[in-house]
Amino acid sequence: MALSVDPALAIALRAGLALLFVAAAAHKLRDFGAFRDALGGYRLLPEGALGSSACVLIAAELACAGALVFTEQGGFAAAALLGLYSAAIALNLARGRREIDCGCFGPARRQPLSLALVARNAVLVALALICVLPVVPRALLPLDALTIAAGVALGALVHGAVNGLIANAPLLRALRSA
Amino acid sequence: MEQALLISNVLLWIAVLALAALVFALVRQIGVLYERVAPAGALMLAGGPKVGEAAPRFALDDLFGRAVSLGGEDPERRPTLLLFVSPTCPVCKTLLPVAKSLAAREPRAARQAGVRLVFASDGPEDHEAFVRKHALDAYPYLVSTELGLAHQVGKLPHAVLWDERGIVRAKGLVNSREHLESLFEAMDRGVASIQEYVSRAGGSR
Repeated sequence: MALSVDPALAIALRAGLALLFVAAAAHKLRDFGAFRDALGGYRLLPEGALGSSACVLIAAELACAGALVFTEQGGFAAAALLGLYSAAIALNLARGRREIDCGCFGPARRQPLSLALVARNAVLVALALICVLPVVPRALLPLDALTIAAGVALGALVHGAVNGLIANAPLLRALRSA
Repeated sequence: MEQALLISNVLLWIAVLALAALVFALVRQIGVLYERVAPAGALMLAGGPKVGEAAPRFALDDLFGRAVSLGGEDPERRPTLLLFVSPTCPVCKTLLPVAKSLAAREPRAARQAGVRLVFASDGPEDHEAFVRKHALDAYPYLVSTELGLAHQVGKLPHAVLWDERGIVRAKGLVNSREHLESLFEAMDRGVASIQEYVSRAGGSR
């Protein structure tokens, strides 16, 4: 039997990931200048192309959210975008430039690059790819509404907590080394 | 049976969500604690003239056409605080009054003169409106990409402090009054950064 996924799980994952991309695009739009600067910090793009690339990335995040909500295959787009971000982080880690701002959580929480961010993205990519598996045909029950809503809320809380731990890690390291 | 499973499932979801919310709140609280107890020093970034080296010399005209010379010996024997800001950076706005009050402060006994405060920025933004809005016209305001490149400014607000002889004494990313003050503290104590001071104090224990 081929791999397949329960419809309630698929819907919860798609909604959760869409929410993630909308939130990510929102904080980038709220402080566009900071995001452009963070993007510049990665030193992957020419200076002149930063503004337009930042626009393209924000548009891509919103497009991913839309694709996740309205199509069955949106998971591929999400996985591709997350993979791109991971590659950019991994490349700069390999260059030894870990002190640049990740730009992941908005300007209020500066965040150096770390392997934990790559690992977090890998988990998100795995979840995105689960969304595109064939869905088991079954009728949705009223209870599934609870599963989906609670599942999305759980995902958001766990994601927030993991991000918090990743953001705390450099502060803890600074304390230990002091 | 089905009824019992249904109720148990709903209760479990409620419990899981409550616990997840608790974990999330705890992580937030820990983050606040770390920020409070962390050494409140300006974050030093690699690149640009190092502490102990001479600040690069520049002769530029500021936004109002006044000639400004940076680097080298200061004729009035004042240290210079060069603050890189941008009209688009929100943290910079909160730091402007702090920088002005630090520059206007009574000279400390160790130093004879006050501090010369110079703002620097670049880019096509509306610098005139920014200067007018924050009443910066009493200070030199330079718009120069070369200056930013010479100091390898990556993140704003970035401050560089050099003494009256033009030797860089402290520099770094400054997000708060504490960070900005830590630069002066570093200059007075002769250490490159508060981080270095803390690690030195830790090592001698």
